[in-house]
Amino acid sequence: MEENYTVQIENANIYQQDEKVLSEVNLKIKKGEFVYLIGRVGSGKSSLINTLYGEILLTEGEGTVCDFNLKKIKKREIPMLRRKIGVVFQDFQLLTDRTVYANLKFVLKATGWKNEDIDKRIAEVLENVGLIDKIKRMPHELSGGEQQRVVIARALLNHPELILADEPTGHLDPETSEGILNLLTEISKTGCSVLMATHNYTVLKKFPNRTIKCEEAKITDLSETVAAIDFDSLKED
Amino acid sequence: MKPKRDKSIIRRLVSSYITTVISISLVLFMLGLIGILALSSKRLSDYVKENISFSVFLKDDVKDADILRLQKNLDAAPYVKSTLFITKDMAADQLKKDLGEEFVEYLEYNPLPQAIEVKYYAEYANPDSIVIIERELKQFPQVSEVYYQKNLVSLINDNVNKISLIVLVFSILLLIVAIALINNTMRLSVYSKRFNIKTMQLVGATKSFIRWPFIKASVFQGIFAAVIAIALLSAVISVAERELDNIISLNDFSLIGVLFGIVILLGVLITALSSYFAVSRYLRLKSSELYF
Repeated sequence: MEENYTVQIENANIYQQDEKVLSEVNLKIKKGEFVYLIGRVGSGKSSLINTLYGEILLTEGEGTVCDFNLKKIKKREIPMLRRKIGVVFQDFQLLTDRTVYANLKFVLKATGWKNEDIDKRIAEVLENVGLIDKIKRMPHELSGGEQQRVVIARALLNHPELILADEPTGHLDPETSEGILNLLTEISKTGCSVLMATHNYTVLKKFPNRTIKCEEAKITDLSETVAAIDFDSLKED
Repeated sequence: MKPKRDKSIIRRLVSSYITTVISISLVLFMLGLIGILALSSKRLSDYVKENISFSVFLKDDVKDADILRLQKNLDAAPYVKSTLFITKDMAADQLKKDLGEEFVEYLEYNPLPQAIEVKYYAEYANPDSIVIIERELKQFPQVSEVYYQKNLVSLINDNVNKISLIVLVFSILLLIVAIALINNTMRLSVYSKRFNIKTMQLVGATKSFIRWPFIKASVFQGIFAAVIAIALLSAVISVAERELDNIISLNDFSLIGVLFGIVILLGVLITALSSYFAVSRYLRLKSSELYF
């Protein structure tokens, strides 16, 4: 039963530089589940995500992500946790000084892949996101949507159990955003959980999934409280 | 359009790389120069000390055979570097040249004594030893008087000590400046990659895995810079050899080898440590702190 969850947080208080941003957080994400995280800027979405991949250490409450206990995790184990998590962030994009191929190769090298498997795996993930023909390009030569897809490809390299996406459609136009969402939905169907923080309510409407809201230092599961989400009321936020 | 833009980016990257290497190599070159100065200052002071001449005046009635014996005795003494016998005529000629006057004709006799001019080894050319040597020389029956410029000897010794101290202080200062400058250069090049460092951490790379390429690159830069510095130093040495033949003779290859070895070692050590600490700094920072 327990093994079916990628993320389990119980009664956690989350601090951002000594300031409590979220209290009594309870969150469970099943294997292959697609979850949205919504809320205003500064409501603690990013802090929650940062906690999940070990950038913010969990001090109060219990938490397990991909079988790593967040409370007991040691500093040198954090890279191992991150190998099981794919991150797709707005800010931290690709390594700007090298090609798409070298970007992906870096991750595989860093996570201990053998040379003979590397090229094959890179071709696989680029095929997945439909960018195999851009393999030799530099990041700045790609459009925003293409860059984001390469980032997703990078997140997929190590067969992650969880993908954390912080505003993955932030800079993108609606059509490109839709493409990204299709991609993430497909990924979640392969058994990989996806937690996506977003402001993009058009996306929420078009791709309905379980939605969690951060508000007044609490998180609430909207799908549990309301039968159908009233998107128009959300928009006014 | 595209290939052209790529080339200009590559040129810009190469030129910033070269700027880094050259600034490191100039600093190393300065360090090497101070090293050469320190190495040759001993030689320089020896050269000056060994050129102070001491005149051992001889009695007029001493026979040539006795003079020769005395000269041989002196040559055999541990403190004597060279001796030169000066006859009355030679002394008169020298004085005539200095004065520009036919004083022998004027006086109708040559008042100058015959003498042996002695030059001591540098270790003995200090005020204390000289007094002892003077006493020893005066015991020879042929010797009438020993003459040298007492002030000159103590002046030279004082100044040599002062100059060595200044060179030492200056080298230490320069070493600190070198470390600071190279450290700053390396930090700047790591700073420009701080977001990449964070991204590498996010995708699960360990700290040492991230650090290693930076250190490798900076060690190469250090070696490259040291080679340039050594080339410049070799040029300086060969010019100095030609122009200042006796004063700075740096034909001691093992000593120069050690100096060049130190230059390479410093180049590698300072760049590697600087980039190690610079990368570690950005590995420690939280992502929100990177924007400053």
